[in-house]
Amino acid sequence: MASIDLDKMLLKIKSTQWSLSDIDWDAPGAELITEEQWPKLKEFMADLMWIEHVGARAFAAMSKKAPNDTLKEIYSYFHAEEQRHANAEMALMKRWGMLDGDEIPEPNINLRLVIEWLDRYADEMPVYVLGTVVPMLEIALDGALCKFLLDTVDDPVCHQAFEKINDDESRHLGVGFSVMEMQGHGATYIKTVKMLAPLLDPRLLLGMASYAPLLNKMRDNIVALGLPEEKLYAAMEKFDKIGGRTADGRANPWFQIIRQHAKLVVNRSNRLYHTPVDALVRLTGHIPKRVLPAVPSWVKELTYRPAA
Amino acid sequence: MSTDTDTVKPRRSPDKKAAAKKTAATKKAPANAGAGRKKAAARSKPVAQQVAARCEVLIIGAGFAGLGAAIRLRQQGIEDVIILERAGEVGGTWRDNTYPGAACDIPSNLYSFSFAQNPDWSRSFSGGPEILKYVHYLTDTYHLRPLIRFHENVASLSYDETRGVWRAVTGDKIFEGRSVIMAQGPLSNASLPDMPGIQTYQGHKIHSAMWDHDYDFTDKRVAVIGTGASGIQIIPELVKKAGFVKVFQRTPGWVLPRPDFQTPAWNRGLFRRFPASQDAMRKALFMFHESMALGIIWNSPLTRLIERIGKAHLRLQVKDRWLRRQLTPDFRIGCKRVLMSSDYYPALQKDNCKLITWPIARLSEKGIRTVEGIEHQFDCIVFATGFDVSHSGTPFPVSGIDGRQLNDEWSRGAQAYKSINVSGYPNLFMTFGPNSGPGHNSALVYMESQIDYAVRGIQALRDGNLKALNVKPDVQVAHNQAIQKRLAKTNWNSGCKSWYLTEDGFNATMYPGFATQFAKQMADLDLNDYELITAD
Ligand SMILES: Cc1cc2nc3c(=O)[nH]c(=O)nc-3n(C[C@H](O)[C@H](O)[C@H](O)COP(=O)(O)OP(=O)(O)OC[C@H]3O[C@@H](n4cnc5c(N)ncnc54)[C@H](O)[C@@H]3O)c2cc1C
Ligand SMILES: [Fe+2]
Ligand SMILES: [Fe+2]
Repeated sequence: MASIDLDKMLLKIKSTQWSLSDIDWDAPGAELITEEQWPKLKEFMADLMWIEHVGARAFAAMSKKAPNDTLKEIYSYFHAEEQRHANAEMALMKRWGMLDGDEIPEPNINLRLVIEWLDRYADEMPVYVLGTVVPMLEIALDGALCKFLLDTVDDPVCHQAFEKINDDESRHLGVGFSVMEMQGHGATYIKTVKMLAPLLDPRLLLGMASYAPLLNKMRDNIVALGLPEEKLYAAMEKFDKIGGRTADGRANPWFQIIRQHAKLVVNRSNRLYHTPVDALVRLTGHIPKRVLPAVPSWVKELTYRPAA
Repeated sequence: MSTDTDTVKPRRSPDKKAAAKKTAATKKAPANAGAGRKKAAARSKPVAQQVAARCEVLIIGAGFAGLGAAIRLRQQGIEDVIILERAGEVGGTWRDNTYPGAACDIPSNLYSFSFAQNPDWSRSFSGGPEILKYVHYLTDTYHLRPLIRFHENVASLSYDETRGVWRAVTGDKIFEGRSVIMAQGPLSNASLPDMPGIQTYQGHKIHSAMWDHDYDFTDKRVAVIGTGASGIQIIPELVKKAGFVKVFQRTPGWVLPRPDFQTPAWNRGLFRRFPASQDAMRKALFMFHESMALGIIWNSPLTRLIERIGKAHLRLQVKDRWLRRQLTPDFRIGCKRVLMSSDYYPALQKDNCKLITWPIARLSEKGIRTVEGIEHQFDCIVFATGFDVSHSGTPFPVSGIDGRQLNDEWSRGAQAYKSINVSGYPNLFMTFGPNSGPGHNSALVYMESQIDYAVRGIQALRDGNLKALNVKPDVQVAHNQAIQKRLAKTNWNSGCKSWYLTEDGFNATMYPGFATQFAKQMADLDLNDYELITAD
């Protein structure tokens, strides 16, 4: 697959918009959620919703950094679309009686840290860093988690919603991989060194320190749901396969970094990686709520209501 | 036909006096124009029959530019003037833009004519009604009403080369003039934007330039689309009345504080008694805006300083980090019009107001659907979406020598000589023509030098007993090369998109320099730049 035509993609995006009101959230089928599923699903949905939200914030940062106006506009749409996914998922939770009044469900602590990091530093990060991490998160978490959901939940409204969400996601990934190739194009030694320079940036290290435990934490959650973790790994390998399909893609040093990291995540027997990261997950689990700064105000934009 | 068909080849040394008198005689023509030309009209068939009036100078538009031109022409003794105005009143911009909060963002002392200063401005930045009052004051003081033909919407202009006459066709009439001043306004055509679903929306729709004063906003759910110069003036007013206001923003602009205050009585008294003091004030304001140009037009250390002021203004007024991010411009200041307001940011933070930056997907029956999947429902949508500006077209068809079409010639971006004349279109003068736009100073300052240039041209026609002044093509080309070269170094051409540029990024709108430089450019009319076509 060669690089896509971004102008055509933008037109496509504009012509395929949907709203929460396109779905009848009161249609029959909610009763298909079993009592046994319910509590785990509730936690799962809350995480999923927050992951969409993290993706949204990352796209917002990328929109500021985009190298051209088309990409800038595409990212501003993706930002809003991730918010739409979160809103739709919240509407599903509402439908399944999983919301506490109008309360937005709490994110887990690792997500919370990632949100904090994104809000503080993402706007400062060069587009090739986020442009590689985001497709990874999308393919591994967004993509894989959605699939698990559809395998386990029979409610037709859920399927209807995720059909729309997945259509959006396929465009996010299309653009994501295409941009990774763009960034890898004409990689010279100098360019590579420049692209890797942010590695020395402590702000980025902080980001890595919240990204790594997030993946492990989500793996644990998946296992807790009774789902095979191999499915997550299979999704992560897809990143390797698609991202590395062209020479340009492989020449992108950030693709190589994220890919190598994914290999560590997938290889459970690598103690050197998993012991400290899992420790970090446990450690972060002990961070008391009150030491965290207030959630940024964009978080309060979430809503399950189709009309406002 | 022989009286007006001056069959003359281009000639260098105009043959003066006798014919000059003839011009002076024809000057008085309009009153009896019909009678004097009946016979000719009968011969040359229907068109001529309908000629409603002939004159020396036809002016299109009764806004500041058209009225100002008429005043200056008369001050030079050129009395035979007709103003065609499509509306039923004078005022242009300020007759049409009556939305709540409408005001100028250039100090009133500078946003007025130097030859007709008003000592009584009640505020430093006057509101729309007061500016309109000033326009009426000009119209009445200079007895312009008799010159104006209201409800005459010019649909086309064409040049009759043999007779050396411009012909303006309105709905059902024809007006003829030796010269034409096009003063139809740079921002006078507004329409609802072409957004998907705009026809589906069932609620009330209002465009900022066509305000509906009968609509009561009390407790209504209101959307404002657009955060440009008009939007930021409307929002603080609507927030005071409406139930809630949601503001839809595409790109945030630079907003600088606007130090608006009431003019103290002593100040007005001073200006009235010592007009020189007002002159001095005007000069000081002018110089202040000129110095801003250094930062706004070009990328200079001052650019950063003004940007810092803009950012400090934002930081001071907006506490929330995310809202501040949403409001932070991501283009260099000056690339688009700098906005001036001290009450816009506070209004956005009122409990009944909300800024929405999600892209708009479409309008629906009940409101606006944005890409985050939510339908925002409204009783009324206010479109503060600006004006239809054409970079390559003319507001109506204009045909010149040999039937050439200005639209065609401008298809790749408009070009003129000194913004005012176009080769092949003799005796046609434009206000706010190509590359005449002020980015940092009062439009009226620029307008005055354009008007005076046109008056000089019309005077030259008279003095030299000329049939026509046609700018030489090579002179026009050289002028434009120089302009485009200078534009390349400005902030407008620094890579940001704005309505100043065509789709291909050609800048046919702005003048790349100080107002002082523009005034200098317009200060002399060199007849060597023109082909002079003499009348016999
Ligand atoms: C809301 C707003 C605020 C502004 N604030 C400022 C400011 O603070 N400072 C500044 O310098 N500039 C400002 N401007 C720019 C403003 O356009 C000029 O300052 C000035 O008013 C232009 O005057 P004009 O006579 O050229 O055009 P207009 O005032 O637009 O007058 C043109 C006239 O021509 C008539 N007309 C148009 N087409 C035809 C036709 N085909 N046939 C017959 N008649 C026709 C129109 O009806 C109108 O009466 C503002 C503009 C707007 C819209
Ligand atoms: Fe998503
Ligand atoms: Fe996505």
